[in-house]
Amino acid sequence: MDTVVSAAKLNSNEIFDLMKQFITEVIGEEFVEEMDITLESSFTKDLEMDSIEIVSFSEKIKIHFGEKIDFTGWLSGMDIDQLISLNLGMIVNFIEECQ
Amino acid sequence: MAKFAFIVPPLTGHVNPTLSIGAVLLQQGHEVAWISLDSSLAERLPQGGQLLLIQYAANDLEKQESELYLDIITKKIVYGIDSIKFLYEDVLIPLNRHSYKGIVWWLDQFKPDLIITDHQLVAGAIAAVHQNIPYATSVTAPAAIKVMDELPKVHEWEQNQIVALQQELGIISGKSIACSELLTLVLTSGAFFGEMELPDQYRFVGPVVHKRKGNSSFDWDRFEHMKGKHKLLVSIGTTFNHEHKKSFFTRVIEAFGDGPYTVVVVSDPLLFDHWPANFIVQQNVPQLDLLPHLDAVICHGGHNTVSETLSNGLPLVVIPIAYDQSHVAGRVVRTGAGLRLNFNRFKAKHLKEAVDEVLVNPAFKQAAEQLKVSFVAAGGTAAAADLLVQLTLNQPAVIFNT
Repeated sequence: MDTVVSAAKLNSNEIFDLMKQFITEVIGEEFVEEMDITLESSFTKDLEMDSIEIVSFSEKIKIHFGEKIDFTGWLSGMDIDQLISLNLGMIVNFIEECQ
Repeated sequence: MAKFAFIVPPLTGHVNPTLSIGAVLLQQGHEVAWISLDSSLAERLPQGGQLLLIQYAANDLEKQESELYLDIITKKIVYGIDSIKFLYEDVLIPLNRHSYKGIVWWLDQFKPDLIITDHQLVAGAIAAVHQNIPYATSVTAPAAIKVMDELPKVHEWEQNQIVALQQELGIISGKSIACSELLTLVLTSGAFFGEMELPDQYRFVGPVVHKRKGNSSFDWDRFEHMKGKHKLLVSIGTTFNHEHKKSFFTRVIEAFGDGPYTVVVVSDPLLFDHWPANFIVQQNVPQLDLLPHLDAVICHGGHNTVSETLSNGLPLVVIPIAYDQSHVAGRVVRTGAGLRLNFNRFKAKHLKEAVDEVLVNPAFKQAAEQLKVSFVAAGGTAAAADLLVQLTLNQPAVIFNT
């Protein structure tokens, strides 16, 4: 059996915390402290992330979960309206279902 | 000698490079005209250039619409992916639809040998195809043609908006014809644009730097005697509204006011009652003359200012606001020529830290110098003009653009 160390199944709270950590890495800790990040937080309107920042966020998910979760594939299937309304809850659900 | 018609949107950054290319064509004895909605363009044209103004005087509603498009882009605060939707739905598509009839009418009158249409003015390409006149495309905002691998549907959505308009105006093809299959001038170097597979007719001619007509006055004497060691230019371009500017410059003042900097700010001086003593604030500055005397530039990532800065081998701090600026900023960071900050989130101290970093660490300036070399090698204005002239010489009797 190989590399299943990080493969322990995360529950939705753990996924949420991990996503918050990635957002923090992308936009900086002090900004996150001022924000109320919830499952409803949308990337474009609430977190004010632009496309390049959303892409760096998705790279972090890819690196963390590897091939187990095709996050990039899921994201690349989104049309412009889905991207504008994309929120943290949708991502948490997606990762939870994939595990 | 040939007849050229540039078709331009009423957006300064898209018009200026065509003025330089057009000036070279005029000097060579060609006939050159600009088709535009903007009557103020007449004053900025190079000598001998003709303005073919799109006017719908017979119909008041259409006339009012023309005026609306001249400043619509400055009116709304938009951000991120939302801004792309706004740009297409509220600006580009209606602007193209509105301009189309006027373009057709002028092409019919002027009968150019070659049309050069802006990549965001697909109406020009549609009119060219219908009248069977060959067209080239000028990509004045190269970041806009870059496809994000991770978010392919954003580009696909943009293409769909264009194709729908094309079909409305009688082009059946399911592909965007905005970028010419004959010649598409991409106004940057391959090194700055970055990796992306493009067909052969896409030519990287480098930025076309435009020397604005008329001399903006500038107090050189005061500038040279100012004590601030680090000389900075701060400009967030022509397109953003008052609130954006106020929020932005408040942070600029906090970051550099009374510090070891000489700060030239492009802004309405009346934005604030008081500016720090180490600031020179003017609505217009002679940017090209000023750049060789500076150490770094802070801007919003408009393609022209970034290109002019890099053409002088200067590092940047880029703070993109909307549209394709995020990509321009991304390229500045990727090429190592500067740093980027988030417009909504950055605070004065981040700006100061970022500027100090690009000033102190020589790697940023070195990367900027390398891009400067790539720009010179790409050929710029002369190369762009040559390619256009070539097209008028080697023309088969009929050229099908689609």
